[in-house]
Amino acid sequence: MKDLARLRTPVKESVELALNQQIQMEMVSSSKYLAMAGWCDRNGFDYSAGFFYKQSEEERGHAMKLFHYLCDQGATAISPEVPAVAQEFDTLRSVFEGALEQEIAVTDSINRIIAVCRRENDFATEELLRWYVKEQMEEEYIARRCLDLFDQIPADQIFELDKQLSKVTYDGNVFE
Amino acid sequence: MYTVSTRSTDWIEIFRTDKGVVYQCDATQRLILEFWDTYTALSARDFAQFRRMVETVDVRQMALSTDSAHDVEILTPPRSERCYVLTLCEIIHLRELLSGAQMMLELNSLLRECGCTLP
Ligand SMILES: [Fe+2]
Ligand SMILES: [Fe+2]
Repeated sequence: MKDLARLRTPVKESVELALNQQIQMEMVSSSKYLAMAGWCDRNGFDYSAGFFYKQSEEERGHAMKLFHYLCDQGATAISPEVPAVAQEFDTLRSVFEGALEQEIAVTDSINRIIAVCRRENDFATEELLRWYVKEQMEEEYIARRCLDLFDQIPADQIFELDKQLSKVTYDGNVFE
Repeated sequence: MYTVSTRSTDWIEIFRTDKGVVYQCDATQRLILEFWDTYTALSARDFAQFRRMVETVDVRQMALSTDSAHDVEILTPPRSERCYVLTLCEIIHLRELLSGAQMMLELNSLLRECGCTLP
C-alpha cells in the first residue's frame, strides 16, 4: 500500500500545523510593529518609527520564508488571519517593552516547534529553524539593549534617546 | 475530482464504521470516502484538508444554538462537486470515520519508515 501523504510531502501534519501557526505569529508581529511605527511617527519619534517600519518588513519576511518552505516541500501554507492589534501606547518605553515581550513569545514558539521536529525526526525543518534561533537571539538582544537606553539616557533628552534607539544593532553574533 | 459511482476491486479498505468507509486506490493515488452511499475520491492533500474542515466545525454551537441556521453544517471537500449538508450527528460520525482512517494512514507511514510494507 502506497504512503500517499509521504509521496506528497516529507512534512508531517503536526509540523505543517506548527509552521502555519508560526506564519501567523510572524504576521501578527509584523502588524504589531507597524502599529508601533505609526504611533512613533505621529508622536514625533521619527527614528524609532523608522526602526519599527523596518522591523515590520522583516517580520513579514520571516513569515514568507516559512510560507515558501511549506510550498516548496509540497505542504499546504495558509495565508493567516491577523487579528486587530493595539494602536495606542502610553509611552515610548512601553512601545519598546511590548517589542521585547513579542520577541520573547516568538523565541519560545520557535523552540517549541524545534521540539516537534525532533519528535517527528524532521531534520530539514529543524535546519530551517536554526536560522530563526539565531535571528531571535539577535532580536531579543536588540530589544533589551533598547530598554537599557531608557535607563542610561535622561528622560529630558527624549529626542537624543529616540535617535540612539534606532542605532542599536547586534554586531558579532556569536553564532556566526 | 474523479467521479466514482461504484466500488472498484483495487481499492484497499482503510477504515470502516457503521456509517461509512474510507478506501485507498494506489493506481490513482486517491483516497475514497464512502458516506451516504456516495463515493468521493480525494487526493491525500484534499482528504487532509477535508478532515480538518470536519474537525473544526463548532459542534458546541450546533448543539446549543436555537437558531435554525446552526442545525446543519454545509461542507464541500476541496476540488470536488460533492456538497454535504450535515447534522450534528453526522458530523460526529464523519469525524470518527476520518480520524480512524487517519490513524490507519499514520500506521502505514510508520511501517514504511521501518521498512515494512502492507500488501
Ligand atoms: Fe520574526
Ligand atoms: Fe522579530
